[in-house]
Amino acid sequence: MAAHSTAAAAHVGGNSFLRAVAAISTLAGWASAAMIVLAVGITCQMIFVRFVLNASTIWQTEMVIYLMIAATLVGLPYVQRLRGHVNVDLVPISLPKPARKVLAIFTLCASICIISIMLWYGFENWHIAWARGWKSDTVWGVRLWIPYLSMPVGFGLFLLQLVADLVAVILKIDQPFGLEDT
Amino acid sequence: MDPLFLGVVVAVSTILILFSGVSVALGLLIVSAGFLVVFDGMRSLELMPEILFGKLDNFALLSIPMFIIMGSSIASTRAGADLYEALERWLTRVPGGLVISNLGACALFAAMSGSSPATCAAIGKMGIPEMRKRGYPDGVAAGSIAAGGTLGILIPPSVTMIVYGIATETSIGRLFLAGVFPGFLLVSLFMAWSLYSTWKSGNTELLKAGNYTWKERFEILPRVLPFLFIILGVLYAMYGGIATPSETAAVGALLCLVIAIVIYKLWHPADLWVVLRDSTKESVMILFIIAAAGVFSYMLSSLFITQSIAEWIGTLDVNRWVLMAVVNVFLLIAGFFLPPVAVILMAAPILLPIITTAGFDPIWFAVILTINMEIGLISPPVGLNLYVINSIAPDISLKTILYGSLPYVACMVLAIFLLCLFPGLATWLPDAVMGAAI
Repeated sequence: MAAHSTAAAAHVGGNSFLRAVAAISTLAGWASAAMIVLAVGITCQMIFVRFVLNASTIWQTEMVIYLMIAATLVGLPYVQRLRGHVNVDLVPISLPKPARKVLAIFTLCASICIISIMLWYGFENWHIAWARGWKSDTVWGVRLWIPYLSMPVGFGLFLLQLVADLVAVILKIDQPFGLEDT
Repeated sequence: MDPLFLGVVVAVSTILILFSGVSVALGLLIVSAGFLVVFDGMRSLELMPEILFGKLDNFALLSIPMFIIMGSSIASTRAGADLYEALERWLTRVPGGLVISNLGACALFAAMSGSSPATCAAIGKMGIPEMRKRGYPDGVAAGSIAAGGTLGILIPPSVTMIVYGIATETSIGRLFLAGVFPGFLLVSLFMAWSLYSTWKSGNTELLKAGNYTWKERFEILPRVLPFLFIILGVLYAMYGGIATPSETAAVGALLCLVIAIVIYKLWHPADLWVVLRDSTKESVMILFIIAAAGVFSYMLSSLFITQSIAEWIGTLDVNRWVLMAVVNVFLLIAGFFLPPVAVILMAAPILLPIITTAGFDPIWFAVILTINMEIGLISPPVGLNLYVINSIAPDISLKTILYGSLPYVACMVLAIFLLCLFPGLATWLPDAVMGAAI
């Protein structure tokens, strides 16, 4: 069965590291939701300016796109915390508990590896844009390090949440794959 | 290595990685990174965040969170129950009015919310107990709602269609229109089966419905019509060329939120946060899969896999309908295990060249693909709708729900056959409204 929107958040127990990471991820979730709401507002403002005031719009489309990118990347840790990233949990469900735990540790380690790579090169991308003063080739000409910042920030926080999930599984605070015993 | 053989290795590795339980998006990134490092060297990893960022750098993607906000603000209200009641009151004279109003409410709510599980939950919570109370067989009660719920991904506006449009660079407007008649076709088939099986169960008294006064019929309309008007308004603005799907969806999202707050009194910050949280969660999940699938399809084309498959299909001497049958079986199997969005994003870069080389219309194919995904929603082992029904009607066994849903699966397969025989069912409306495709 694939995960869906009613899945509960990961357990943190009394562990202060897990609680701190959960708080940071929740904050990131709020930021992500706020950016989506802001994108709704700016799009409505853009339509108003274009169709009611008959004026041209300069920054709105680009701003909305960057907000959506940032909302996606910054929202990653929160969605991970809520177990909202869909997966195929057919094999984990059918495994006995010890094997399920080994598989959970393996998949979390693989996830940590790939997000570390994304963080490393995402940071490099941001740094180049910042050091060379890159600007977008539009009328607005936004400094690209600002939207690129969502890569190191988003992947960094996502990595933190994945590490916390790994710790929670190893310390038996949370169930592997969030699957309760049946 | 021969790109075709490499394609098989990539497919097997992807299946193995995804079945390990890792999230779909991360699984795609892991497979992409692995093959890029082996065949293109370490330096190709540098490109991954840039490709991922570039994939998200698209204004059309805005329509996804906007339609999701529209859907979850509607789903957070009593709109589903109101819609169901309204239809029941208005369809009293129709034989089997109750099951017909349930399926009709599913179709309408599916159009408004765009989400299959949300439709099942919203209509099923009212509809299933009512149908059982009046003596409808459990299988019909559960199966009709499970199947009716799947319409959410076919009837416009549908997030699944938007994702297909973005993945294959086809017009979202055309895709929405293409889903309309097949949606009606499916609803009609579902209704026909429900009436037949109720009649066959011998309890023909059930086909008579209760009586309502005209006052009762009219007093419910103000609660139902606003959301319907917004959806129709959004679609009108889109097809009238007033604004793009993303822009109209943003206005629709704002209006749906306002109506949920004003009419359905959803003004408590905690309730609003639930709507926003669920929308953010689903949007981020889908957008991240889109971004990761972008990296995956870059890897496929960088290793010449996509191109080789298209070339290979071109040289194959098989009937194109045999090819379509094979593609359908593949989609059906993929749909059994993966959510529709993930299947579309992974399969689109591989299947689209096959489909277009074989001379099929990508808009028509979107409908075929979506109905396949609908089957996956009510078939084990994933069968999300089955579990939703199981959670709202726990005393109906999963087996009864599953067997109750099987005839509706047959209706969907029949619809696929009809669409193959009469492709115009999907392509006529988009061509009539937006002009023939180039």
